[in-house]
Amino acid sequence: MTSRRFTTLLAATSLAAIALCGTAEAKVKLPAASTDPNLASRPVQNVKVGYLGLVNDPRNAPDLTYTDIQLAPPDDPVTGAQLGIADEAIVANANGFNLSLDVQKAADIADLVAKVKAMAAGGERFIILDLPDDLVDQLAAQTKGIDVTFLNASAHDDYLRDRCYPNLLHTAASNRMLEDALVQYLKTRSWNKVLVLQGPLPADKAIADAFKASANRLRLNVVDTRTFTLSRTPDSQENNNALLVTGGIDYDVIFVADTEGEYGRYLPYSTQLARPVVGTAGLVPAEWHWSWDRDGATQVTSRFLKATDRRREMTGTDWSTWMAAKAISDAYGRSPDISTPDQIDSYLKSQDIEMDGSKGFALNFRPWDGQLRQPIVLATDNAVIAAPPLPGFLHQTNDLDTLGEDEPEHACR
Amino acid sequence: MKILAKLLGAAVLAGVLATAVPAMAAGTGLIFVSNEKSNEVIVFNPDFTRKTSISTSHRPRDMHFNKAHTLLYVACGDDDTIDVIDVAKLKVVNSIPTGPSPEMFELSGDEKSFYVSDEEDSRIEKIDIASGTSVQDVATGAEPEGVQLSEDGKTLYATSEVADMVHVINTTTGAVTKNIVVGTRPRRFVLTPDGKELWVSCELSSEVDVIDRATNTVTAQLTFVPPGFREEDVTPVGMAITKDGSKVILTLGRADHVAIVDAHTKKVLSYVLVGKRAWGVGMSKDDKTAIVTNGLSDDITVIDMQTMKPIKSIPAGRTPHSVVIDD
Repeated sequence: MTSRRFTTLLAATSLAAIALCGTAEAKVKLPAASTDPNLASRPVQNVKVGYLGLVNDPRNAPDLTYTDIQLAPPDDPVTGAQLGIADEAIVANANGFNLSLDVQKAADIADLVAKVKAMAAGGERFIILDLPDDLVDQLAAQTKGIDVTFLNASAHDDYLRDRCYPNLLHTAASNRMLEDALVQYLKTRSWNKVLVLQGPLPADKAIADAFKASANRLRLNVVDTRTFTLSRTPDSQENNNALLVTGGIDYDVIFVADTEGEYGRYLPYSTQLARPVVGTAGLVPAEWHWSWDRDGATQVTSRFLKATDRRREMTGTDWSTWMAAKAISDAYGRSPDISTPDQIDSYLKSQDIEMDGSKGFALNFRPWDGQLRQPIVLATDNAVIAAPPLPGFLHQTNDLDTLGEDEPEHACR
Repeated sequence: MKILAKLLGAAVLAGVLATAVPAMAAGTGLIFVSNEKSNEVIVFNPDFTRKTSISTSHRPRDMHFNKAHTLLYVACGDDDTIDVIDVAKLKVVNSIPTGPSPEMFELSGDEKSFYVSDEEDSRIEKIDIASGTSVQDVATGAEPEGVQLSEDGKTLYATSEVADMVHVINTTTGAVTKNIVVGTRPRRFVLTPDGKELWVSCELSSEVDVIDRATNTVTAQLTFVPPGFREEDVTPVGMAITKDGSKVILTLGRADHVAIVDAHTKKVLSYVLVGKRAWGVGMSKDDKTAIVTNGLSDDITVIDMQTMKPIKSIPAGRTPHSVVIDD
């Protein structure tokens, strides 16, 4: 426990303190404030929080198939960040800050670097990144001398956590965290023999590798790793026909790594053996699922739906941008020392901060790799089956550290 | 004096089950448990046998009797109503509309209105019961939950689970007069009978903050860690205090225990193992028995407050939320 809460703050209760800048398309509405004219207020400092995305991000394809099935979110997760700022506005306000989101998009790495320089020159200390893994990596490498802290909200690759950029935090879960969560669950069911199916993309391999590292830690037995293709030509049938891809071997469960999602969605119920499918299809690990109904999650999902005019359900990445904005707001609102942005930054990275992600645990960032500690939900289409860390998977200091690369395993690479 | 008279007259809920004494005071001794997922208030007899189930609107949560105990009000979060149960008939006789997702509420001293926290609308509403209309609206931080009226009805305290604050609200003007920053995800309140302290349970920072009401400042942070648990396993939510102000019983959520605390020294007297995710707690009028709702094991646990031991656990509906006793 810290001593921060002994400071009772006389606060201006301006709830509608959020002004949205940039190209935000979604609306986040808050009721008007009820303020008492006698309530002492002090000068409020305006702070811009950056949000940097990619023009035409390929991860946000509107649809891939001609039946309008959405395999990827139709748009970027900026609404999550707007909601995070709005949710915590009253807290930041109580500490003398009025936060607003500055949404910027860039087309390539040169443009991204230029944007970061301009945002930093404009006084932005924290920038939420919604970028693919390789661009996060390049951007962090090319902006080392600039006084900004990035919060990566949508790149999952583990190598980013091992780069040890001092100013890169991650609210997106790493692949390893997601797969550790899944492996904990498989272990509780004694589904020990796993057939791994891997797609053709580098991201598919990254996920499959993370799963295999997790499986190794908890002693699951990966009986085979097979690749699949979407091509149905006769000479690729060994890698396309589900009966052949899943046949000729015994296993308890199938792990599929298919970031595109087009193969995986046809896999459950098509397998040779009557076995469950987990991974990117079937039972899927993520930061969030709209059907999670504990820990105040329903209210967050419901606010998100309202903010997007019910266009879509809240995804794991929407949660991660929400959490990133909330973390920054929380740091401004709660830091015991608000004299400089550096003090806010060091509080954000400290082990004293206790952030609420509506997942039942107090959250903070791991000091060794900047990764946000968090529970992971394992969900089907409409139900959360489990939310690791699961009972029985213990850790010497914090059970959340059973998910993801732990401190002794971590090395800067 | 007054307390003694109450003790003598009140229903004896605890003690030897086989010889449980029926209610002698005005109350029936019936125990009412709201169940969020089975949309019912289950009624238990004073001997803890099941009497009946009352179908309610969807997601019943907080409950309060009127002073005469003829009516029981139940906030129903998914139908945006407060249902009115006739205690004699054990039936819902009316539904009063509220804003989105009512969770906790208080009945005003004149019993003419409610103060309701609308979890999904970030506000506290004052609702006139007779007309069913909202007569006052106070914007709060997101996800308001606990509400507590002061003894004179002039001040309303409300928690915002997301903003981590207690709002101090002037009920005459409807204005927030002070925001008190507390721990993470503040949930519920108890007022000490001497009027000096307001306790706030903070679920995610595993603590109870004690607010000095004269200065509206946090004067103590209390943490509760049963043996074998870590602080982060403890998620305090429900609280109840004895009428003499000597003991507070506090549910510890994920730690599956309650703590019984000396309200003066703030020291833990005992940890009691109950069911999974201990959530709500109600106390009998004679302060001898506390009943805890266990949200994830769908049961309630009866605790003898004198021996500080669990007496028994009884199956309830799906996701029991709150418990009140008509005694």
